[in-house]
Amino acid sequence: MGDFNIFHIMPWSGTYAIYFFVIGISAAMFFFSALSWYRPEFQVLRKPAFNVSFVLLAAGGLLLIADLTQPMRFLNILNPAYLNFSSPLAWGGLNLVTFGLVSIAYFMTMRKNDEATSRKLAVAGALLALGLPIYTGFDLTVHQNRPVWNTPLMPVLFVALSLLSGAAVATFIAKGEKLLEMLRRFMLWSAGAVAAMLVSLLGTTAYGGSGSELTFMFMTSGTLGAVFLGLGILVGTVAPIAVLLTNSGKQQSGMMLAGGLLLVGGMALRYSILIGGQIVQTYF
Amino acid sequence: MSELRISSIETRGVPGKKRYAMVIDLRRCIGCDACMVACKAEFDVPLGVFRTWVPYKVIGKYPTVRKMFLPRLCNHCDDPPCVRACPVEATYKVDDGGFVLQRYDRCIGCKACMASCPYNARFMLPKHRTYTDITRVVDKCTFCHHRVTQGLVPACVQTCVGRSRIFGDLNDPASEVSYLVNSLPTQVLRPEEGTKPHVFYIGADRNHTEIGRKIYNPQDVMEVERAVFNQNHS
Ligand code: SF4
Ligand code: SF4
Repeated sequence: MGDFNIFHIMPWSGTYAIYFFVIGISAAMFFFSALSWYRPEFQVLRKPAFNVSFVLLAAGGLLLIADLTQPMRFLNILNPAYLNFSSPLAWGGLNLVTFGLVSIAYFMTMRKNDEATSRKLAVAGALLALGLPIYTGFDLTVHQNRPVWNTPLMPVLFVALSLLSGAAVATFIAKGEKLLEMLRRFMLWSAGAVAAMLVSLLGTTAYGGSGSELTFMFMTSGTLGAVFLGLGILVGTVAPIAVLLTNSGKQQSGMMLAGGLLLVGGMALRYSILIGGQIVQTYF
Repeated sequence: MSELRISSIETRGVPGKKRYAMVIDLRRCIGCDACMVACKAEFDVPLGVFRTWVPYKVIGKYPTVRKMFLPRLCNHCDDPPCVRACPVEATYKVDDGGFVLQRYDRCIGCKACMASCPYNARFMLPKHRTYTDITRVVDKCTFCHHRVTQGLVPACVQTCVGRSRIFGDLNDPASEVSYLVNSLPTQVLRPEEGTKPHVFYIGADRNHTEIGRKIYNPQDVMEVERAVFNQNHS
């Protein structure tokens, strides 16, 4: 008894995790649509994957704007006189807007059956799509005072999470054995990469000094344990890898099951990483 | 000896420039909270949020107990991560003086600066305020820029009954803050973050400056208060 402190809020709420999730899927879906120009088995995904990507991009953008306390001022982020290029958010804003513009152009050329331009826009859009999970990772990485976030893993982890969640969604609309096999590999390899990165992340967090150590405790045995360890790692990463390795994991139904689990995991991991990095400091 | 400067934004020891700093002598702080009140009055700081605050902890077990205060405020870091993090330069550092200030009309409310400040020095202004329409943007201590540029000291320094808070230009070797920082052992908060804070403490205790283990099992009464606070402020 007898302590007095001012309480502090976590600046970034769970909405950001939903944004990370949505935008990650959008990026990966664009990538699959772009891939269809170069790999014939992806052809069935060309239009549906693009549609999903575009809808989620719009939803993600709106979510981001709505989360600002001054939503109408999101235009400031497009004002060259204001932009601060040492902030990943500034780069992210530009990336998001250019990706949106390229997506619209790509949609138009696809409708006109202009294959040559579509192919070029597909490549440009895919590179911009890759930028989305990278910048969201950097958003977290740059804060040197935050355990879990401040590791070079974040951008790479977010790319892997994006690919995994995107492939999981794609299994629900995919047709054709060859395509399904490719998606299975995408899910397996990216889930494997996520699992490997999580092991390192847990290691550096557990032994990263007192703030990190406490964060590790909150994320494993503490309030976030069920979400991070339970949903994120066991249900959302280990279980789907196991399913994908069995025989039924090679059928579409098994893949859908794994995909569903991966989506749960992808959301849980993003949420617990976002919140995990903020718990300890609210007490400082 | 000149200070090692990593980033060009730092102005400590740069000739011809002021670098204001605050020294807080904890041996003299009696925890009267007059500074908190002076700050609230100076800026009409809304309920529940603070530009400066004085947390205390009771350390030890009877009969060896001690009540410790640690006045807190923005450290006006020489290499401020909040300035780096703001996408629209709504937070910026004044080159001459080292004040870290806000442009209220530009802030979009993304809270990146709050995420990047290791000291919880920043807060979001509420939707409704009585005397001003500056709402829903991030705010923080300004080192009383408006007073200091008029030759006064910050309101909290002016009012401090114990003369625990001392303010001045660290780049001026004849100032009182230079004398204190150069002749006494001082501490800053979380120096490992590389922010180069410019609030120096004399006699800060590790029980206060470290992130304590106790937060893993916080007292129930604290958690009840916290839940109420979060309801009102998120
Ligand atoms: S204490 Fe926080 S708000 Fe103040 S200058 Fe340093 S990082 Fe910025
Ligand atoms: S909340 Fe305002 S001051 Fe802070 S980083 Fe965002 S725009 Fe800049």
